[in-house]
Amino acid sequence: MTILESIASVRKSFRADLDSFPTDQREIDLLRSKYFGRKGLLSDLYVDLAELPNKKKPEAGQSINTLKNQLQSEFENKASSVTGKIQGTTEQPLDLTLPGYPITNGSIHPLQQTLDEIKGIFKSVGFKVAYGPEIEDDYHNFEALNIPKHHPARDMQDTFFVEDNIVMRTHTSNVQIHLMEEREPPLRYIVPGRVYRNEAVSYKSYCLFHQIEGLYVDKNVSMGDLKGILEYFVKRFFGEGTTMRFRPSFFPFTEPSAEVDIWDEKREKWMEILGCGMVDPNVFDNVGYDSTVWHGYAFGMGIERMAMLKYGIDDIRLFYQNDVRFLEQF
Amino acid sequence: MRVSIPWLKKFVNIKQSTAELADMLSMLGLESETPKKPTFSGIVIGKVLKAEKHPNADRLSLCVVSDSKKKYQVVCGAPNVAAEQIVAFAKVGATLGDDFKITKAKIRGEHSYGMICSERELGLSDQHEGILVLSDSAKVGADFADYLNSNQDYLDIDLTPNRPDCMSHVGVAREIAVKTGQKMNYTSAQTRNFKKNEVADILSINIDDKDLCPRYVAGVVRNITVGPAPDWMRKLLEAAAQRSINNIVDISNYVLLEMGHPTHIFDYDMVPTQTVGIRKAKKGEHVNSLDEERRKLTDELVITDGKKPIAIAGLMGGLESAVTDKTKNVLIESAYFDPITIRRSAKSLGMSTEASKRFERGADPNGSVNAFWRVIELLEEIAGGEWVPGIIDSYPKKIDQKSITLTRDKIDILSGCELSDTFIKNTLSNLGIETKKNGKNKWICNPPSYRPDLEREVDLIEECCRVYGYDKIHSSFHYGGLYDLAEVDPEDIFSTISQTMSGLGFRQCYLNSLTDENTAGLLGKNAVPMKNPLSSIMSHLRTSLYPGLLQTVNHNIHNGNPNVNFFEIGKEYNAGKKYDEIFHLSGILHGDWISKSVHNDEQRQSIYLLKGIVEALFNRLNINDIVFSTTDHAHYEYGSAITHGKSIIGHCGKLKQTLLKEMDIDAEEIFGFDIVLEPITQTMQTVMKYRAAVSYPKVGRDMNFVFDSNTQTAIVTRAMLKAGSKNLISVIPVDIFQHDSLGKNKKSITFHLEFQSAKKTLEEAEINSAMNDITAVISKQFDAKLRD
Repeated sequence: MTILESIASVRKSFRADLDSFPTDQREIDLLRSKYFGRKGLLSDLYVDLAELPNKKKPEAGQSINTLKNQLQSEFENKASSVTGKIQGTTEQPLDLTLPGYPITNGSIHPLQQTLDEIKGIFKSVGFKVAYGPEIEDDYHNFEALNIPKHHPARDMQDTFFVEDNIVMRTHTSNVQIHLMEEREPPLRYIVPGRVYRNEAVSYKSYCLFHQIEGLYVDKNVSMGDLKGILEYFVKRFFGEGTTMRFRPSFFPFTEPSAEVDIWDEKREKWMEILGCGMVDPNVFDNVGYDSTVWHGYAFGMGIERMAMLKYGIDDIRLFYQNDVRFLEQF
Repeated sequence: MRVSIPWLKKFVNIKQSTAELADMLSMLGLESETPKKPTFSGIVIGKVLKAEKHPNADRLSLCVVSDSKKKYQVVCGAPNVAAEQIVAFAKVGATLGDDFKITKAKIRGEHSYGMICSERELGLSDQHEGILVLSDSAKVGADFADYLNSNQDYLDIDLTPNRPDCMSHVGVAREIAVKTGQKMNYTSAQTRNFKKNEVADILSINIDDKDLCPRYVAGVVRNITVGPAPDWMRKLLEAAAQRSINNIVDISNYVLLEMGHPTHIFDYDMVPTQTVGIRKAKKGEHVNSLDEERRKLTDELVITDGKKPIAIAGLMGGLESAVTDKTKNVLIESAYFDPITIRRSAKSLGMSTEASKRFERGADPNGSVNAFWRVIELLEEIAGGEWVPGIIDSYPKKIDQKSITLTRDKIDILSGCELSDTFIKNTLSNLGIETKKNGKNKWICNPPSYRPDLEREVDLIEECCRVYGYDKIHSSFHYGGLYDLAEVDPEDIFSTISQTMSGLGFRQCYLNSLTDENTAGLLGKNAVPMKNPLSSIMSHLRTSLYPGLLQTVNHNIHNGNPNVNFFEIGKEYNAGKKYDEIFHLSGILHGDWISKSVHNDEQRQSIYLLKGIVEALFNRLNINDIVFSTTDHAHYEYGSAITHGKSIIGHCGKLKQTLLKEMDIDAEEIFGFDIVLEPITQTMQTVMKYRAAVSYPKVGRDMNFVFDSNTQTAIVTRAMLKAGSKNLISVIPVDIFQHDSLGKNKKSITFHLEFQSAKKTLEEAEINSAMNDITAVISKQFDAKLRD
């Protein structure tokens, strides 16, 4: 093929491509490199040109240059007419009142946020974090915690049974027993987790919820230490100005026992937030700690309840319904 | 438990307001609430003149109510409505709660001009079993709010199960006396002397098992007159929320509420055997209890007439031996039953009574004698009875309380406050605990029989602390000293994951881990069942997080939010040889990923978007060896297995339509991923190491091959990486083109290759040689043609 024939062939092929000019930017770029790229058809012509005898070079060279200019101008005209829509908009004056590009939003569940916040508070003062099973034997959930079978204290917690001797844990306190069985004192842990109660679902109770438990065992631990850590927690979580009440109560696994209320300005009443007390010597005996030497405190609170009080949520079921109109507020 | 303040005032001085008293008791450990403020207007005291069955409805009554001026026809749905009752009557125009206004109504064809209210409707309590019946002394026609103001003199106490001693007015008064430093104005009923124990001739007691019934006190009173109780007694009973029945039953209830000990009064003539037996029921026996239920017995403790059961011990009397209008002579029972035995009976019969609540928690074994004499005294005083001289006090198993040693050391360590010897001594003895000093720093203490909860030193320390006042305990705060560097929170990574997923546009869910059997079976094999489920829709533990997420999508579609992406970090449960609880991360996408705007068209969810998200997540977690491989999986129409290291840790894909149908989900296309978290948390425990950024330039090249159309791109990519020199650092497919011009069932794929060396600037020849190697391998391995 002579060089002139080659030029004609490139022109012909270019015409055909121009007729079926692509609309996609990537294909346009591919087409551009097919002709004008480093290994494009026009570069090929220049390679051919180099091989011609010197006397034929000027004429052929000029033809190729003309072809290149012509094709380039035609190609860019065509390309800009195809992509003109895009270029056109950029030339319009900016309207910065338009909303931005729609971005998909995510969110972190309020219970996770509340849990993280509570964990953070206790971690900051030296508590470690431990976890334990939800499917638990009667011994760890009840008996070792000084709640014998047929004891009225069992009525405080309606229980789901998996087998006669296996329950869905009713509190995270089962992990107190595991921790003390596995480790030597002293220890200081918080234990978050999911717990179950066989109670009809309503705005104020759900068949499961989340607790966070605290356990501190050392030689000299007093009610004053318990009150101190809980005051610190309440002020950090609910705010400096929160009024708190520490009053006597009863739990089988603590003695003396207490409950903590905070004053709710809106409802004009005390709201219970957690139960606590000094670890009962029977519990220490059950795990083989010498209760004449070791003392400790334990506390447990409901994460849902904390979130409800903090954010003013009045129906516990909202946490488990996961309506976007609820989730997007957190 | 409701305590009447006037009743308490019989035993102790109360100077505080009701609210102050509630606070004081709460701070003693008896959590108390003041009466709820009513939220109604326009309610008057009415009298029911007539109550007949509604002609068109079995459960409704047609009543005539008078407000002393006019008579009104009222349709009432309460089962306990009856003529002669004094009631709270909401006339047309009255309001209840925030916005419930009483209007004229026609109910099943009968006009109704008002409503007879229950306690709940009035906002006084949660009681909704029937209408509120007022005492006869309430003045018909008077404003009900005024009546309430003068009668709402009570507290509701939420007692903890360790304090049976406070389940009475005397018990609560004792607490007030101790805290305020008063002496109680109370002496128990007089023990009587007798020459001959005559009652032993006409009554004998047989206790089968002394462990179940350690003490049984009984006696007989003749020639009583059954009638209404005197007004003073009825007023006190009503104030403590106990309805008056007749003088005999009221006496038993009165003694219960006064001193806390349950008694039972039988019609003596209905026990012709003159014998009372206490034994376990035999299977097949039954008793008709006072509430007119036929109770089938299995092994509950029962009271017999020597042969057949006539009452359920500690729970409820029987109908046949109950006091009626015709009763002349009565048999008084005042026993101490074993707590566990009564609790078992209550559980097996599904009953809970005022008596059983006290026996279960531990009644006072000596209280049975005191209560007996109090009943005798009242039967004589109020019902004109004649006591048959004597008492039968069968006490085969003496209930002893151990003495407790209290030490100064333990008090000081645990209490965190400074309690003086004098304070300790006074507090304990005011609580009825005999206390003797033994050496310098020790006390020997003997608790009274009404405090079964005081068994150990710590129990006494609590007594001292609560009387001293928890509010006066000094807070102390110190931390540190127990830090173990080796132990990190294994769930810290969950927060990283939630934050990443949230940043990627997903909303976190918390979902119920209880589900129904069918759903649990759809996605797993060994679901853990509940033995006593709340309902059939919550009978098993979940085997997958998908159902909950799908239901959440469904809920949101129905509430106007079809474009949603959710994830959950939660446990799946399986019953195998042991019970497994395994943390998973699952996410699903539905609808538009990006909604339409002036800037863009909407972008739908797709399998590639899903894969991009999973890749982004692992990237963020710095886990770089994730491999996706196409696989068949029961839950996915199409999808990939996700491999980390050598094991499959999850799947992603388009969820099967059949699965959505089975779960009634109104959605066409849902994409989802599910990952087991443990291998990831393990990997993340190791600290990543920084690699220096390479400073020599990257060189990019495109290569375009024509393949068979079913060629899998990732396999080609991997082959290229293997075939290229070590300087080939990445291969990304950038274009796929399918056209007949390529040949039948062919596609062309353009790859963008990047070359870089950490040691020098690469030379053209090195890159070309690598490209040639790649071309050779790919052409051969995939029968592909390089396109120029």
